[in-house]
Amino acid sequence: MKKGAFITILAAVLALVLWSVGPAAAAEPIKLGAVLPLGDITGDQASKAMKLAVKEINQAGGLLGRPVELIVVDDEMKPEKGAAALEKLATVDKADVFIGGMASGVHMGQIPILKKYQKVTVWIGAASSKCEEALEGADWYFHLHPWDYQQGASYLEGWTAINQKYPQIKMDKWFMAYEEGAFGTASFKGQQALFKDYVTEGESFKSAAVGGGDYRPLLRHAKEAKPDVFIWVGYGADALPIMEQAKEIGFAPPIFLGSPPGWPPDFGKSPLAEGVYAYGMWAPSIKEVSPVSKHFWDAYLKEFNEEPVTYFCALGYINVMFLAEGIKKAGTLDAAALVKALEQTEYVSPVGETLKIAPSKVIKHQGFTKQKILQWQKGAQQVIWPFEFATAEPMYPFPAWDKR
Amino acid sequence: MRGAEKKRSGDLMTVQWLNKRRLALAALYLGLAVILAWWRPYVLVEGVQRSCLYAMIALPMALILGVLGIINLAHGEFMMLGAYLAYWFNVRAGLDPLLAALPLLLVFFILGLATYVSTIKHVLAAEELIQLLLTFGLGLVISQMVNLIWTSQPRKVQLDYVSASAAVGGFSFGTFEFIYVGAAVLVLIGLLLFMKYTRTGQAATAVGQNPRGAALVGIDVDRTYLMVFSISVALVGAMGALFMTRHSIFPAVGGSFTLKSFCLVAMAGMGNLSGILWCSLILGLAENLVLSIRGYSGWADIIFFALIGLVIIIRSRQRQST
Repeated sequence: MKKGAFITILAAVLALVLWSVGPAAAAEPIKLGAVLPLGDITGDQASKAMKLAVKEINQAGGLLGRPVELIVVDDEMKPEKGAAALEKLATVDKADVFIGGMASGVHMGQIPILKKYQKVTVWIGAASSKCEEALEGADWYFHLHPWDYQQGASYLEGWTAINQKYPQIKMDKWFMAYEEGAFGTASFKGQQALFKDYVTEGESFKSAAVGGGDYRPLLRHAKEAKPDVFIWVGYGADALPIMEQAKEIGFAPPIFLGSPPGWPPDFGKSPLAEGVYAYGMWAPSIKEVSPVSKHFWDAYLKEFNEEPVTYFCALGYINVMFLAEGIKKAGTLDAAALVKALEQTEYVSPVGETLKIAPSKVIKHQGFTKQKILQWQKGAQQVIWPFEFATAEPMYPFPAWDKR
Repeated sequence: MRGAEKKRSGDLMTVQWLNKRRLALAALYLGLAVILAWWRPYVLVEGVQRSCLYAMIALPMALILGVLGIINLAHGEFMMLGAYLAYWFNVRAGLDPLLAALPLLLVFFILGLATYVSTIKHVLAAEELIQLLLTFGLGLVISQMVNLIWTSQPRKVQLDYVSASAAVGGFSFGTFEFIYVGAAVLVLIGLLLFMKYTRTGQAATAVGQNPRGAALVGIDVDRTYLMVFSISVALVGAMGALFMTRHSIFPAVGGSFTLKSFCLVAMAGMGNLSGILWCSLILGLAENLVLSIRGYSGWADIIFFALIGLVIIIRSRQRQST
């Protein structure tokens, strides 16, 4: 009896061990290591969108017979934290690929780590071409966000197209108010270089993000200049105060255009937003012209009970889905095969365009190359250009303050 | 007798000289104001408004520094927290931020009491570096806590009245920021009356001048410190509600105001509450004057801190010569 009981128990233990080891080896997840600024709306919504994409993929059976696991690490918008996040993903979490990204400054700190591990990387952040220069020769690297020079070129293309289609919209004279840091100064220089056929004046201001917040002197100068287009380049913290102070001094140029990296989530709800133009890769209204965008919008809203408010949300979803398509095409996680598969992958994305990979100035694998021109109309952000994704006609001129 | 008469005569001449000096300064201010009103009226209006924003935030710091002798590096973070609470009251209960300033006075008074008892009290006798580190750490705790709850995304409430404007002739200007002028004057007068006519205020004056002497005559120094610290935190927390009406708020928004407040206090001199207002006017008007010149906006900060440095050097030399 005792011997029999011992054998039974031993068999049970062996069966338990085999059961735990056997299925686990087969179901080892494919690990996507993501680095995002979780304290910022861009990173917060991008990570949620990635989770949504991963959920949809796993509900459809996973990839290569394996579930997909997303590991997100916060970079806190700091280069050293971004670099440490990649180290952790590589060494502790054993991520198979790297995804994510937002700020260019953070990415500069991460590039040496990316080069150290040379994992296939599909990145949705970093517009600065300084990052591109630092990634020369990195054939395992895929960049989905337009570079700064590509963005600038798309703005020129867009405004030229709008002016041609709507000749009543004048844009000969530009006044650019730019935050006095590297971001704003580089934007002003880029604007002057690209928009050579237009008169561009400019003046710097101290952003609220670094202790400023009084734009009235600058806005008075802009008012005196009588521009056809007023564009401000700063941060989300500047958005509403600039509009309030423009109203206060009666400054209403024919085109009022803002170009921060991200807008406050409730900016559109303000009556001051009516008629304000913006640059972005995606707007909620695209769901009216794109079934993929509508699916993304409905699924995100259902999953998280909040609306996507930043194009990084859509990019987060695209990041995972595009990579998943590439993995399916490759049939393996082998880096060389995956790179080749991603080069050939075409993904119809929620931002409207079909994502295809082509070389940019320095790197071999660039995704999106353009931004869109958007405008707030009746509380909703509409696409004005490219015309194939347009959801509304441009409102022109910017409505006078006393006529709202 | 002759010695005493000489001394009285000398004191009288000093008073006369000081009065003449004050009159001369007042005439200078008035003259500058008239010139600005004629040449660039918006510099005068917006400069005064902005000056009073700085003053209303700096006055509570002057109170703490003048009485406790502590530089509160969490000063701006208390203001930021007040701004966030006013934002929260507005979003949750629809309470106007200007009205939210009143309950925030009580909330932050209690917070000030708790902060003093749990932290500040224990470092009053310590080295200044320890005190600085403590208040710096306190500021970090507050800002990180706010970041965890609300994230770093800037927030701004929609208020129609903040864009109100008026016109005089062809010159239009914003009127809402006169609320900062009112707040600064109210806080200053309130604090001066408090220091002169209330027992706690008089005790605070005595403690600020000589804590040991104050203790010897029976003043409860610890209780005085407690009240002064709590009143200061209450005021700066309530100022957060006024601040957020016109500004986007985010966890790091308070830091620059800690620096500006400290600079103003240093410029005005320890315990010189009315000096804060005058110094703010100098700096605010100078800042706006520079900003009004196209292409020189980058110089505004340089001028701001250069003026502060200049005044501190002049004061220091005056003290050395007397």
